[in-house]
Amino acid sequence: MSHKQTVLIVDDSQAIRDLIPARLKGLGVHILAADSGAAGLEMVRLHEPDLVLLDVNMPGMSGFEVCQALKNDPQTHDIPIIFLTGSDELLDKVKGFDLGAVDYVTKPFDPVELCARVRAALRTKALMDMLTNQAQLDGLTGLHNRRYFDERLEQELDAGRRYNRSVGLLMLDVDHFKKINDEFGHPRGDEVLRRLANILVTFCRSSDVACRYGGEEFAILLAESGSEHTFQCGRRLLQAIRDSRDLHSVIGRPVTVSIGAASVQPGEGRMLPSVLVDSADRALYAAKNKRDCIIADTGMTSITSAAG
Amino acid sequence: MIRDPQRDLVASSGAGQAPLVSTLADDPDMAELVQVFVQELPQRIAAIQEALAEEDLERLTSLAHQLKGAAGGYGFSPITEIARLIEHQARDRMAGEMLRQTVDELADLCRRASAC
Repeated sequence: MSHKQTVLIVDDSQAIRDLIPARLKGLGVHILAADSGAAGLEMVRLHEPDLVLLDVNMPGMSGFEVCQALKNDPQTHDIPIIFLTGSDELLDKVKGFDLGAVDYVTKPFDPVELCARVRAALRTKALMDMLTNQAQLDGLTGLHNRRYFDERLEQELDAGRRYNRSVGLLMLDVDHFKKINDEFGHPRGDEVLRRLANILVTFCRSSDVACRYGGEEFAILLAESGSEHTFQCGRRLLQAIRDSRDLHSVIGRPVTVSIGAASVQPGEGRMLPSVLVDSADRALYAAKNKRDCIIADTGMTSITSAAG
Repeated sequence: MIRDPQRDLVASSGAGQAPLVSTLADDPDMAELVQVFVQELPQRIAAIQEALAEEDLERLTSLAHQLKGAAGGYGFSPITEIARLIEHQARDRMAGEMLRQTVDELADLCRRASAC
């Protein structure tokens, strides 16, 4: 694991909030603390820590209530929780596991035991993160895969409906890809896809989602992007691909792509994944007739960019 | 008189006026924190005695619970043990002489607590 993991302590006792960081110093983790259940809940949502050390017995919102809230929220569901409990409260320990905690530490705690339990929980979390990450990535290009794209598309459209925001989509297909494979062999074809993926990664904002949609087809999901913005993004991307020596050097001549652009906005048609994908696909199909160009599917009208 | 074996044990181990030195006295990582903890003990005891005087057993339970969880971590296991006793007695609503005595013992231990 390359990044520093974060541990959040939620305990109403200042003495405990002081003690734990001193005891975990050797682990090289980043430590946050909250002094109540409600504050802890807020910090989890804000910082998405890798582990929560959660006191059971707190005035106001108890540790159990915090745990339940975290486990009921898909955003925080997978964050492991270790309960801090009194050594003589057997029922609390059992209840903690029932609520989804991974472990417990009894107070007052032995520092060696505390470190060991925290380390074990963090190790598991890092492996889970890695697996989740790999399950969402395309093996060849390192971009997100189709499965992840489908999930995110739905989330973005949900958010779009809720916050009244448009969502844009670019679909991109490599021109004459079969010919490249036939002429230069598959390893060279794969290299074309990898270098194209690099261009997409550089091009995307952090809120955009670039993925390999399948074969030589790519998709870029643009959050908060109306038809005009989506089209302009696609144009810039097309130009970046035309200008990439890195890409063209793979086969010693230009590699070109066709791009279809589409967007949906609240109040204008249905904000459904199939509507947006079909629309971008339609535009891509039209672009494929011409190649090395971008076409936007804006309801009835299509805008074609001047090629070159 | 009802005898409490756990309490006899604690009472006998901490008898006298000798200082109760934290078992972490030699841990440089902890020295400062232990010092702060010791400095704050009088406040904690005052709060516990106040809760007892007001017969606010719920508050007494909660204060004893906090002290129980913290003291051992700062190298004061005997304080944790007495605090545990108070927590249980207060939770079981065993107010009266026995609880008062236990709180006195705790106050005595805390007065003698020393960081080094």
